[in-house]
Amino acid sequence: MQILINDLRFIYPGGVEALRGISLVIEPGEQVAIVGQNGAGKTTLARHLNGLLQPTSGRVSIGGLDTHTCTVAKLAARVGYVFQNPDEQLFCKTVGVEVAFGPKNLGCAPARIDELVNGALELTGLSDKRDANPYDLSPTWRKMVALASILSMDTPVIILDEPTTGQDAASIARIAGVIAHLRERGRTVITITHDIDFCAENFERVIALAEGQVLLDGPACDVFGQQETLARTYVDPPQLTRLGKQLGFFETVRNQAEFLAALRGIHLGDPSNQK
Amino acid sequence: MQERLSLYIQRDSWLHALNPLTKLSLTFAFILVGFLSPWYWTALVLVFAGILPLSFFGRVQREYFWTALRLLVPVAGFIFIMQALFLPVGTQELFRWLIFHPTRESLAQGFLTATRIFVMVSSFILFLLTTHPSEMMSDLTRRGLPGQFAYVIVSTLQIIPQMQAKAQTIIAAQRSRGLDTEGSYFKRIGALVPLVGPLVFGSLVEVEERAIAIEARGFTSTRQKTFLREIKDSPIDRTIRISLVGLVLLTLLAKLWR
Amino acid sequence: MINLQNVSYKYPLTDKQVLKDINLQVQPGEFVAVIGPNGAGKSTLCYAISGFIPHFFKGELSGSVQVAGVESRQSTLSEWVLTVGLAFQNPFNQISGAKYTVFEEIAFGLENIGVPRDEMITRVEQAMAMTGITALAQRSPFSLSGGQQQRVALTSILVMQPQVLVLDEPTSQLDPIGAREVFGVIRAMSHSGMTVILVEHKVEWIASFADRVVALHEGSILLDGRPDDVLTSPFLEARGFGLSRYTQAARAAALDGLWSPGRRLPVTLEQAVDGFSLEARRDADSH
Repeated sequence: MQILINDLRFIYPGGVEALRGISLVIEPGEQVAIVGQNGAGKTTLARHLNGLLQPTSGRVSIGGLDTHTCTVAKLAARVGYVFQNPDEQLFCKTVGVEVAFGPKNLGCAPARIDELVNGALELTGLSDKRDANPYDLSPTWRKMVALASILSMDTPVIILDEPTTGQDAASIARIAGVIAHLRERGRTVITITHDIDFCAENFERVIALAEGQVLLDGPACDVFGQQETLARTYVDPPQLTRLGKQLGFFETVRNQAEFLAALRGIHLGDPSNQK
Repeated sequence: MQERLSLYIQRDSWLHALNPLTKLSLTFAFILVGFLSPWYWTALVLVFAGILPLSFFGRVQREYFWTALRLLVPVAGFIFIMQALFLPVGTQELFRWLIFHPTRESLAQGFLTATRIFVMVSSFILFLLTTHPSEMMSDLTRRGLPGQFAYVIVSTLQIIPQMQAKAQTIIAAQRSRGLDTEGSYFKRIGALVPLVGPLVFGSLVEVEERAIAIEARGFTSTRQKTFLREIKDSPIDRTIRISLVGLVLLTLLAKLWR
Repeated sequence: MINLQNVSYKYPLTDKQVLKDINLQVQPGEFVAVIGPNGAGKSTLCYAISGFIPHFFKGELSGSVQVAGVESRQSTLSEWVLTVGLAFQNPFNQISGAKYTVFEEIAFGLENIGVPRDEMITRVEQAMAMTGITALAQRSPFSLSGGQQQRVALTSILVMQPQVLVLDEPTSQLDPIGAREVFGVIRAMSHSGMTVILVEHKVEWIASFADRVVALHEGSILLDGRPDDVLTSPFLEARGFGLSRYTQAARAAALDGLWSPGRRLPVTLEQAVDGFSLEARRDADSH
């Protein structure tokens, strides 16, 4: 499901111009990370993708459907949005019922709902917590429940708002697993994140926003290589990218595999790998 | 978004400078005299000879008029009409039409109640316009009001707008899960649980954390509290308060006499 | 300064032993970082040191928790908080809501414990200068960003002049700028002589600040030692601890022969740059 954003401008009721002409195309199945400082417009942009916000001018269309023409509830079948704070979504007696809420709203048949719920619980490691009350779980697991309750909607596009905030290494690994699974199934995943290392390790395309406009947009390697531009929106490059730069690597590395490959290249005496 | 629920307007006025307890006493005096006085026209006189001049003394006349017009006049008018038309008192019927049969007495009673309500709410509005909640609570705590009580009131005023913001986010989050908030009324009522649930549960989590935070700042300390804000209490304040008490007592006597 | 002996704890109405026989001694002025997977008992440990266990959270506490020679069970919470300050993750929930300006918010604690007005004003001004928020004095606490709110919360605790500061993941919910501001404040507090207990996931920051790292796992202390030792320990990864990416990269490089087996694994960027540069030189020399 292709996402088309055409010269999107948005002004909040108080007069703040949050988005100043953003044009983007996101192809089906892409994994995109949106980065930038607080106030750059990341959340505002994301909220246009499922109809929560309507453009002041410009157009947003999801799979050919203009967001202007339908309700948020209808767009929910195409775009799933996982909010940052799970406590703003969870209200059911058990995890199972909570995760079934989304597909139920979409009008799925009971058998299909079961299938979707089971799948989502397994993916997020919640299968054994199905009958627990979400609020009896720790905040870490509550975030997983919120994620599962959107995964169960099986939407072509999924938006994750700061998925790794407050999570430990094990949960982050689990979330990375979910993203990999979605990638395999050809789903479009869009994430807003401050965790630049998580971004580097899981997303191929990075869009950096600053002051309501697109500052950089391209493959992760290219974007992370532009340290000075990124600094304008207060984004530090990933840890290994910085290490690579300081060691004088020629190309920009973004994760461990690339780092080691570059390192091997240097030690094998290949001068083109080092500046 | 408004950061706090409060009518308070910062102005440099004689009324603002008065001690909070004095202003509170003034408010209660207006109400008690208005309701107790046996003289029919008391409430009306209090509004014109008391509330209105005070609003000028407090330099909040514009805000007061605006609120009075938008809120008080319709409410008082409604009460008047309801009582005038439906109160089963008196015998001198003025007219009869369908179920409406106002009498001279019901009209008189309606007017009395309406003006009394007008005085009561007006005096509160005036009080809220010229008294900072923090100052009032500080003053009352200094005079013996339990700290917890003051905290609950002041923090509620600030936290309710925050909860409104939170409610907006919850609505957005649930809509994103396909919750229909724009459909039929039946659907909208069904939509309440997913909206209220997170608000309540989330607030419980918040409340516990906030309790820990204020505990960490010595909230339950048994030591004698001190105050950052210096709130003055002048002889004028004391004189005013004593006079007000006297006025209320006189009114009470007058009523008992009759 | 802090002495925990055989401390075990179970929350009320639960069966799970959240802390199991913890023994921990912290010297005055030490900066101790605590790491561990979520659910390891880090927050519970914070509550035990700051007196909220057993006074706020009832439950079963066994063993002895002593700070500055006083047993927590034998003190009251309102007296204990004068010695041990606590700040936690959510900046918004630490704003009392009782005050309309940042200055008053910070003074709130001093009002509660009965500090005379003149002294109150001086202490608030000094605390704000130390944490760099003097410019925010007249703002409403609710109008601030997360990072600013967290700094206000820290200042509100600092102003009470505790001897120990317990911080439970103070930067988890902040953006990188906010996190940097808060770490700056914490470092300043440590330099001023305060004993600091910091629970944190960001391993690279810990390595630069902490004197000591305690690794907590399923309620027990797994490791307790110098940052460079603990943070590069081979025991951590399998148990769900997050290592810094520099450590992980160097470990993988070692498997490839690109990092000498004897060389200490790096935790911070600087250590990694030094290490890999030396490796490159060694490699160049041997050719």
